[in-house]
Amino acid sequence: MFRFNPNRKAVEKGFLFTIGLLTVVAVLPLFYILYTVTLKGLPVILKRGTIFFTGTFSEGGIGPAIAGTFLLTFLSSLIGVPLALMVGMYSYENPRSVLGRWTKALLEIMMEFPTILVGIFVMAVLVIPMGTYSAMAGAFALVIILLPYVAVYTHEAMRGIPFTYKEAGYALGLTRIKVLFRILAPMAKRGVLTGVLIGIAKAAGETAPLLFTAGGLYESYPTSITKPVGTIPLLIYQLIQSPSPQDHATAWGASLVLMVIFIAVFIPLRMSLKEVKL
Amino acid sequence: MNFAIETVDLNVYYGKNHVIKDVNLQIPEKGIFALMGPSGCGKSTMLRTFNRILELKEDTRVEGEVRLFGKNVYSPEVDPIEVRRQVGMVFQYPNPFPHMTIYENVAIGLKLNGLVKSKEDLDERVEWALKKAALWDEVKDRLNDYPRNLSGGQKQRLVIARALAMKPKILLMDEPTANIDPVGTAKIEELLLELKEDYTIVLVTHLPAQAARASDYVGFLYLGELIEAGPTRKVFESPEHELTEKYITGALG
Amino acid sequence: MEVMRKLDVFDIVSFPVILVIFLLFAGMLFVFFKNALPALEHFGIDLYIKNIWQAASVPQKEVYGIAAALWGSFYTSLIAILISLPISAAFSVFIVDYAPRGLKNTLAILSDVMAGLPTIIYGIWGAFILVPFLRHWVMEPLYRYFSFIPFIHYPPVGGYSYFSAGVLLAIMITPFVSAIIREAYQMIPFTYREAAYAVGATKFEATRILLGYIKPAMVSGIILGFGRAVGETIAVSLVIGNTFNLTYKLFAPGYTISSLIANQFGNAFLYTYMTSTLFAAGLALFAIGLTVNIIGIHMLRRWEKNVQV
Repeated sequence: MFRFNPNRKAVEKGFLFTIGLLTVVAVLPLFYILYTVTLKGLPVILKRGTIFFTGTFSEGGIGPAIAGTFLLTFLSSLIGVPLALMVGMYSYENPRSVLGRWTKALLEIMMEFPTILVGIFVMAVLVIPMGTYSAMAGAFALVIILLPYVAVYTHEAMRGIPFTYKEAGYALGLTRIKVLFRILAPMAKRGVLTGVLIGIAKAAGETAPLLFTAGGLYESYPTSITKPVGTIPLLIYQLIQSPSPQDHATAWGASLVLMVIFIAVFIPLRMSLKEVKL
Repeated sequence: MNFAIETVDLNVYYGKNHVIKDVNLQIPEKGIFALMGPSGCGKSTMLRTFNRILELKEDTRVEGEVRLFGKNVYSPEVDPIEVRRQVGMVFQYPNPFPHMTIYENVAIGLKLNGLVKSKEDLDERVEWALKKAALWDEVKDRLNDYPRNLSGGQKQRLVIARALAMKPKILLMDEPTANIDPVGTAKIEELLLELKEDYTIVLVTHLPAQAARASDYVGFLYLGELIEAGPTRKVFESPEHELTEKYITGALG
Repeated sequence: MEVMRKLDVFDIVSFPVILVIFLLFAGMLFVFFKNALPALEHFGIDLYIKNIWQAASVPQKEVYGIAAALWGSFYTSLIAILISLPISAAFSVFIVDYAPRGLKNTLAILSDVMAGLPTIIYGIWGAFILVPFLRHWVMEPLYRYFSFIPFIHYPPVGGYSYFSAGVLLAIMITPFVSAIIREAYQMIPFTYREAAYAVGATKFEATRILLGYIKPAMVSGIILGFGRAVGETIAVSLVIGNTFNLTYKLFAPGYTISSLIANQFGNAFLYTYMTSTLFAAGLALFAIGLTVNIIGIHMLRRWEKNVQV
């Protein structure tokens, strides 16, 4: 009655093998990338020593780019995070109104939007009128990049709080602002903080929106937000296109720095969470 | 006679559902008023009109009046936030804020409403509220702990302390013992008997036995209508309405 | 019938912020339209359907048609999806059905690391490692033995090509597409699994049935993955070869809209119509991105709702 079908058995084995193989194929590139970037970047950094982190470009370092990355990330979070928290709160408070639903939809669209378009938009409205690339323009572009992440995470984190705590807050005679920001937001701080960190990580790693906004500055440290500034990703992009092997070496070193920063922020964050939206 | 709470032709709608129907109820000052009825009869909804917390839920509509000490809280010039400061509330699920310490939980209403002048005043008021809620002796050595290690009954008394700290005249209690073990329940009922000397307590319950044990007055709500209300002994000994009799004898869900 | 609530401080503070966000979006649309207009008026529909890029110092001699870049965006994204879909599906099935607990979590984390890794890292790795690798191990052997097949009939000289861009994009979107498929696959109610095995299906057959069940989610994964691929700029511009080349031949260098913008925008101001042309290209990308994402997100939400009920 239970007839053994060798053909079916073979298909089954082939299926399991294929699934396993494709899984390996899916994650293999990551290891290849980690391996290559370390292999090519580490000797560069070791050879040049601390000058790589602090020196200007002609000294063989990427100091100004590191400073620029921090500057732009800082500026964009300073403006973007409060705005995003407000937007996330708004869409949490108005889940059924037309404007609330549109806000949520807009945020989701912004998350998926081609980032190069943000770059040339900011170029048109800020760089051309000002007549120069600037840290300000770069930061503005990054605000648009990080805002939807922070807002969507805030919304989701707030939505996870049981309704009874909201009632308890209002029952104490508190205003909406106080219930939202002093009671509920601290309760959801893990989720909100995750969103903030992911937004910042995204902003720090972006290249395309900075191409025509930040400009680039590698021979001296940034001093003004109305002047051009460089960042690590932007520098790498420009160096890859150079024919000089020396520049390529710097690019690999810079890539390793960027990768280490990303992994140092991202892995602990991801380990403490169930799932993330990227 | 002056009533603590009085409803006049109160109607509540959830969207198109008519959940409270023409209720006229008087709750006297001081003492415990039990609002009883089977699950889903509208008791919790009605309770939430007394401090206008119902409007947190979307798509609700209230018609008629709710008067606290003679003043209609639904009249247009009334700010619901002011109403809520004078009315304390305790919930079915013991919900002290999990991210605040025991001390902060009691202090939060005072602090955020700016009702105390100094740290000493605040300490004093927190101690007073915790004593009033019969919790002080159990937590005085761990005021800076988080409430997660408290028992259900202790959590609920912490919530009572949080409400009392605001010095309300009225305490609304939405099935406060529904999620508490029998020992904790007995303690809370005992506490209510003490508190009723100073406060008007509205106790929502689906257990006729609890209403009989703990209350001075009782109202029976069935499918959104107020069937009967009056002194507890009278209602339980000689109910006027057949439905009330069925309910208190357990013949009704 | 909602109760009109009185405006409170929160409304007063949050409303302007919401307004700013919407104005920003409307502003973007406006800026793209306004800046694209001169080129659209000058070249008409030819701008989108012709393949020509003739920059000149005299405006009368300037002629632009971005058909090759439009095609490139579509073609590379299509290649990426075709490669990524089976990998993503298998990866999801493996994580949900076969991986032991510890490995499950590790694989999910690795996948998220891949999704979040700065794109410039993919770019440098793609340009210096992946392209030579593909040229040596895939493109050259295929060209040597199978060049009679039209798709392959192009000498892989530099290796920078539609194919390389497609492969790199496939690697980049796989964590994203697989996250959508995985979530849907996990959400399948247990009774369906039981039912599949109860009728005597093998693992292979059961998986096929279950994947059929989440087809709408897979389709939205494909659409959203496609959207990501179309929008990706930096990595693609480093491996595609940046050449106007309207062809289906896999190993030929090409352009995509985003790589065209990245590559040409910097010096476009030297010419009369080039900036405007690039904004028109951006407008097309805007339209594609918007359509694709709205459809994809909408489908995903609808599917999630259906499953939850």
